[in-house]
Amino acid sequence: MEILRTENLTKNFGGLTAVNRVNFVLEEGRLQSIIGPNGAGKSTFFKMISGEHVPSSGKIWFRGEDITGLPQHEISHRGIATSYQITNIFPKLTTFENVRIAVQSRKTTFNFWTRADQHDDLNGKAIRILETVGLLEKKDILACNLSHGDQRHLEIAIALATDPVLLLLDEPTAGLNPAETVETMELIKKISKGLSVILVEHKMKVIMNISETITVLHDGQVIAVGSPEEIQENETVRKVYLGGKKE
Amino acid sequence: MEKRSIIKKGLIWASNHPLWMIILFFLIFPFIMPYKALATLILINGLFSLGFNILYGYTGLLSFGHAAYFGLGAYGVGILLVRYQVSVWTALLSSIIISGLGALVIGFFCLRRRGIYFALLNLAFAQMLYFIGFQWVSLTGGEVGLRNIPTPPLQLPGFSIDIYTPLRFYYFTFIFVTIALIVLKRILDSPFGRVLEAIRENESRARAIGYHTNHVKWLSYIMSGVFSGLAGGLYTLYMHFVGIEYLYWTTSGMVVMMTLLGGAGTFFGPFIGAGVYLYLEDIISIYTKHWMIFVGSIFFLCVLMFPEGIWGRVKSRIDRLKTS
Repeated sequence: MEILRTENLTKNFGGLTAVNRVNFVLEEGRLQSIIGPNGAGKSTFFKMISGEHVPSSGKIWFRGEDITGLPQHEISHRGIATSYQITNIFPKLTTFENVRIAVQSRKTTFNFWTRADQHDDLNGKAIRILETVGLLEKKDILACNLSHGDQRHLEIAIALATDPVLLLLDEPTAGLNPAETVETMELIKKISKGLSVILVEHKMKVIMNISETITVLHDGQVIAVGSPEEIQENETVRKVYLGGKKE
Repeated sequence: MEKRSIIKKGLIWASNHPLWMIILFFLIFPFIMPYKALATLILINGLFSLGFNILYGYTGLLSFGHAAYFGLGAYGVGILLVRYQVSVWTALLSSIIISGLGALVIGFFCLRRRGIYFALLNLAFAQMLYFIGFQWVSLTGGEVGLRNIPTPPLQLPGFSIDIYTPLRFYYFTFIFVTIALIVLKRILDSPFGRVLEAIRENESRARAIGYHTNHVKWLSYIMSGVFSGLAGGLYTLYMHFVGIEYLYWTTSGMVVMMTLLGGAGTFFGPFIGAGVYLYLEDIISIYTKHWMIFVGSIFFLCVLMFPEGIWGRVKSRIDRLKTS
């Protein structure tokens, strides 16, 4: 069953067409990757799905419902979460609070009279998520004092804490060294069980190893869709992206 | 050695129980000030800064127009007492509602924009109210303000009491400030308070994880207006006078200074800021009418040396003591 479908999704910024008539389908429970050179429109595509950008034209269907142009917070509550390419955390809050506040978003906003730290269900869930991403021991450290690698994991933890059905991972390994990259990919494999995931990445080894299907974007347009093997063999893709060489 | 560890323990206890510390402190406050009227003044302005701090310190929104809510509260009480001879309770309650409604409407428009535009939209609205106050002489007294505001006794179940002696009025204010502090503490510790902090730290991420940040900010704005309005209302009762300058932009500037001086985003900071500001004004203005030069210089030095504010600095020292 398909969970996400975009129809001719387009975004113009003035004269620039960042995303051009993209048709994209994701089956439920699958992990699909999007690759493409810088400026191909990958992040803009994500931002339209998550509601951060309103599409110029086209439609987005999520679980059979038209979500095109809905406000960001409503899309979040329908079950789409983003982990950002540029780390986007709450720097002066503790690691724990970063996750706890995201967990809280599923339950309550306008609750003025109970103590936030006495909601044991929320605390417990935050702890479990920190454990999953391996940050439990650092839970009392301010997020701004975490290492870059830990911040990348916190970024994923925040997205995970909102109970997503569909997870958008925008270059989760950005700025990580090879060892950290391997560790993060293991984490992604672990958390993506039972979820639908769209992954944007630059590191080809990572992509080829983890993805079931790959979509290649170039100048805002889809130029190829296929399995990792098919993509590696594809002439157009090799010309624009893989530099003509086989990996 | 013994003495130092007692001080250390005391400080840590105080920082863990900021609410009780403040309430205890203000209970004895009038007796450690040179005169009781100054203590009252600090309490009222501290309450105003506390209201401002909800918006600036806890939600991260800088308004340059908070005179509007102080002024609405002050004029609310003044006009109701002079023109409609209502009771003190009715006057204060109405003034809170008037400021809240004012914040509801003005906040709706100001929150359409962010950053400096937000700050200046607030200023524009506050100046509009100032000119309305200036022109609408039949209601507000215009340039002269409202004078000879009646001093009805405070009605309590079974009896009534004259609250206008310095010490009684101090404790009358103290009760309101205590209630305001308890309410604010509850709100800041609540799930809603945590959302405010999240918005202050990173609004776009707060939106991305599903918070309707515009509504949250709006509510924070209204709360801030209500606290500021209560301060304005108490100020009128205290001064028996409402001046047009309450609505002027200098009042908006003053509350920013007091909050920054004491420490934005800290619980006790606004009162420290109000205290330092008013105490300096009080001593220096004996010698020169240009006291603002000195207060301004001290503000300047404070912001350069500890931008986290006086109480912010003390608090981070205590936090370090705790971990050591």
